[in-house]
Amino acid sequence: MRSVPGRFTSGLHSEGVAARLGLWLGISFTVAFVTGLFSHFMQHPPTWLTWPSRPVNLYRVTQGLHVIGGLATIPLLFAKLWTVYPKLWQWPPFRSVSHAVERALVLILVGGALFQTITGLLNISYAYLWPFSFPAAHYWTAYLLYGALVIHVVNEWAKIRRQLWTKEQVEPPNEVAARRRFLGTVAAASGLTVLFTVGETVRPLSGLALLAPRDPRIGPQGLPVNKSAAAAGVTAVIHDPGYRLTVTGAVRTPLSLAYDDLLRLPQHTVRLPISCVEGWSAEAEWSGVRLRDLAEMAGVAPDAVLTVESLEKGGSYRTSEVRPPHWNDPLTLLALRIDGAPLAPDHGFPVRLIAPNRPGVLQTKWVSKVVVA
Amino acid sequence: MNASRLLGYGLGGGLIAAGFAGLVVDAGLTDPLGWALWFGGLIAAHDGVLVPLVLLTGVAVGRLRRPFPVRAGLTVAAVLSLVALPMVAGIGRRADNPSLLPLDYGRNLLVVLGLIALVTALTVIAGRLRRRRG
Repeated sequence: MRSVPGRFTSGLHSEGVAARLGLWLGISFTVAFVTGLFSHFMQHPPTWLTWPSRPVNLYRVTQGLHVIGGLATIPLLFAKLWTVYPKLWQWPPFRSVSHAVERALVLILVGGALFQTITGLLNISYAYLWPFSFPAAHYWTAYLLYGALVIHVVNEWAKIRRQLWTKEQVEPPNEVAARRRFLGTVAAASGLTVLFTVGETVRPLSGLALLAPRDPRIGPQGLPVNKSAAAAGVTAVIHDPGYRLTVTGAVRTPLSLAYDDLLRLPQHTVRLPISCVEGWSAEAEWSGVRLRDLAEMAGVAPDAVLTVESLEKGGSYRTSEVRPPHWNDPLTLLALRIDGAPLAPDHGFPVRLIAPNRPGVLQTKWVSKVVVA
Repeated sequence: MNASRLLGYGLGGGLIAAGFAGLVVDAGLTDPLGWALWFGGLIAAHDGVLVPLVLLTGVAVGRLRRPFPVRAGLTVAAVLSLVALPMVAGIGRRADNPSLLPLDYGRNLLVVLGLIALVTALTVIAGRLRRRRG
């Protein structure tokens, strides 16, 4: 009787195919891990870590790579798992203790890779079908996956070398042709996935973004929204005629400014993107008051840390910290207008923060307080 | 065991330990039971449902005289359908925020699948013509 793995007759269940797909996956998971950690530590910086405010598009590009690259990884992953699927049924399942440990680590690798890509895909589609917090689960699972990947690469390195660099025997041409066709198909699936989604962050391709969860041209004032004024529960309070923006804390002169006072201060116009961790981004022309001008008016020390607070009652992103490189940057505004018109309620009327190289969730909307420490 | 191997195992093992520790310490957010169900459920769904379906389809397509274009077309179509599925289902739509999932994804997926079918059909026809002439 033939063993189960012996029943897989396709020559593509081979070490040569697995090594090539493995190399591509190693690169794409490395990019995802690095760009993911970058976002995590940008959103939750330890006190000793101060990110620069330039390059303006650094966060945007890294998160576009993370998400669009992650989508492109899905076909690579499925192809790799299909290629090595016969090994799942090897008999005996465990030849020794070390073989059992190796297979347990492969289980973590496979589970981690499927978990990260599939829940990632569901997350950018806003289908939160799980009981956990996606950012926390995605963050910790990344360590599991990358750790298991490192060990797997160590174990398989000799095969990768043999297949890709040092192999000397000549392969039958029909085998090479079959492999090229298969890998070409996988590359086409990856490439088309990118083609039909990347327009959610690369504006010239937005017309092709048929399968992207966002269109950078669609939203109030032609700009997508993450949290609406209704969802934040601020629809009434933002139109309160008694609205004041206050600057308090470690200041020489506390400030309390009405909306019209803000409009009378020197206005500046900047072109900056909203860059979401979910991979989409959209640029707009923002006008308003430079945060550093307000800090100067209030007499703030140049190394102070500012916290902007929203009119929202709760939520994880009600406040955000603006460290010196960002608030001293002339591009950082408390914006009052988009393309010359007052902010739509969903974009943070009356006032929102907009700064270069900063995660979208930290571009605090409906700002009413700046607290200096 | 050489030093680089040992270093790799140390690094990998450390990352795995950090991941499990984080999942447990952050249990309030990670919901370890829910996490484990998803982690195991995706493996089971992939190995137990998705791959067998792919294998069965592969066997059926393998009976064609020239299976390659159809096999490639189906593979690409399946991947793009999977990527589009959560958007087509529209689970994440919210009445207060029309900029989430703003497109008609069902129609868009049909357009994409139509293009793939067209390219596949043209490839099949071109192959037949070439063989007839050659």
